[in-house]
Amino acid sequence: MDIVWSNFFIQLVAFGILYWLLSRYAFGPLFSIMEQRKQFVKEQLESAENSRKQAEAQYEEQKQSLQQARKDAYDIIEQAKQTSTKQADEIVNTAKSEATRLKDEAVKDIESEKNKAISALRSQVSGMSVMIASKIIEKQIDDKSQEQLVDQYLNEVGSK
Amino acid sequence: MDHIFPEVHLGGIRFDLAAIFMIVLTSIIVFVMAKLAVRGASVTNPTKMQNFLEWVIEFVQNIIGTTMDLKKGRPYLMLGISMIMYLFVANLLGLPFGIITEAHHGATFLGMELHMEGEEAHIAWWKSPTADVAVAGALMAIVIVLTHIEGLRRNRKHYLKHYIEPYAAFFPLNVIKEIAKPLSLSLRLYGNIFAGEVMIGVIMGMGWFGIPALIVWQGFSIFVGAIQSFVFVMLTMVYMSQAIVHEEGH
Repeated sequence: MDIVWSNFFIQLVAFGILYWLLSRYAFGPLFSIMEQRKQFVKEQLESAENSRKQAEAQYEEQKQSLQQARKDAYDIIEQAKQTSTKQADEIVNTAKSEATRLKDEAVKDIESEKNKAISALRSQVSGMSVMIASKIIEKQIDDKSQEQLVDQYLNEVGSK
Repeated sequence: MDHIFPEVHLGGIRFDLAAIFMIVLTSIIVFVMAKLAVRGASVTNPTKMQNFLEWVIEFVQNIIGTTMDLKKGRPYLMLGISMIMYLFVANLLGLPFGIITEAHHGATFLGMELHMEGEEAHIAWWKSPTADVAVAGALMAIVIVLTHIEGLRRNRKHYLKHYIEPYAAFFPLNVIKEIAKPLSLSLRLYGNIFAGEVMIGVIMGMGWFGIPALIVWQGFSIFVGAIQSFVFVMLTMVYMSQAIVHEEGH
């Protein structure tokens, strides 16, 4: 075996230089990039986890608020129903009482008008009696005609 | 026909120009590839090349993870990545073609006289750098020296103690084991890659009939090159873990 010893030392030096060049210019930067990527992936995973949690919390919150809104809506409808029933009852009651009141008033009016009419009639009858009496006196008539006249007036009065 | 490698003698030291050329070329290819891959590298939108390089990193991380605690192995990640990329490129580089020049005695390269035994030689300029035992040995030496240094530095007591385990009488055996490790590590790599290139040379000698065999063998060599670079890095990490990890129950 022919050994050229200079090759041994040349290779030693060459590999040393190659090692230095590679670590200085090629793999040094690449290692740092890989480290950065590791960090980057870690951060991304963390942020993904965070946003997932956030989304879950928000979903829960929204679910609750939806539930709340539904309940509120139900309550409002319920209330509206009650109110409307109450109002309808009130309206009916008011209408009834109004009607009763109007009827009563009408009855009272009728009564008072009747009373008025009667009293007016009374006063007229008395006036008429006076007039009849004066007419009788004016005419100076006999019994027969007097009787006739009284009947006549009485009939008039009675027909009124 | 035998091919020799272009050799020059400078100040009494032999230099293998082909090996030097291929070492430099491999290093440049690896560095340019890595540099292009991280150009415009981004955190959120990695390019295809960036993805590939990150895959390499994860691959080496997995190798380290199978042999030791990844936290303890982190300092050797860069070593593993550089080693596997360099070895992979180096192992495959010799496969696709060869550059062979014919030279006569007294031929020069950049003013340096090429050394040759005979009057005339075929000089092979293109080969896998790891097909040279000295180059494979240098890569092995980096790894083995580092394991011993790291063992002494980070795990001194247990590292020293493991030489006399289970009994002090086992010391010679343990020393043999420590010597066998680098030998097997470098010779395995060198043997596989060198044999692959020798086989390619032999098949080329078959002429046109050799083309199907060449295709098959080149495919197999790609496989061998990839496996050898993987095995080398795997064993690096295994030796490292043996040196630095304090085993439970001892």
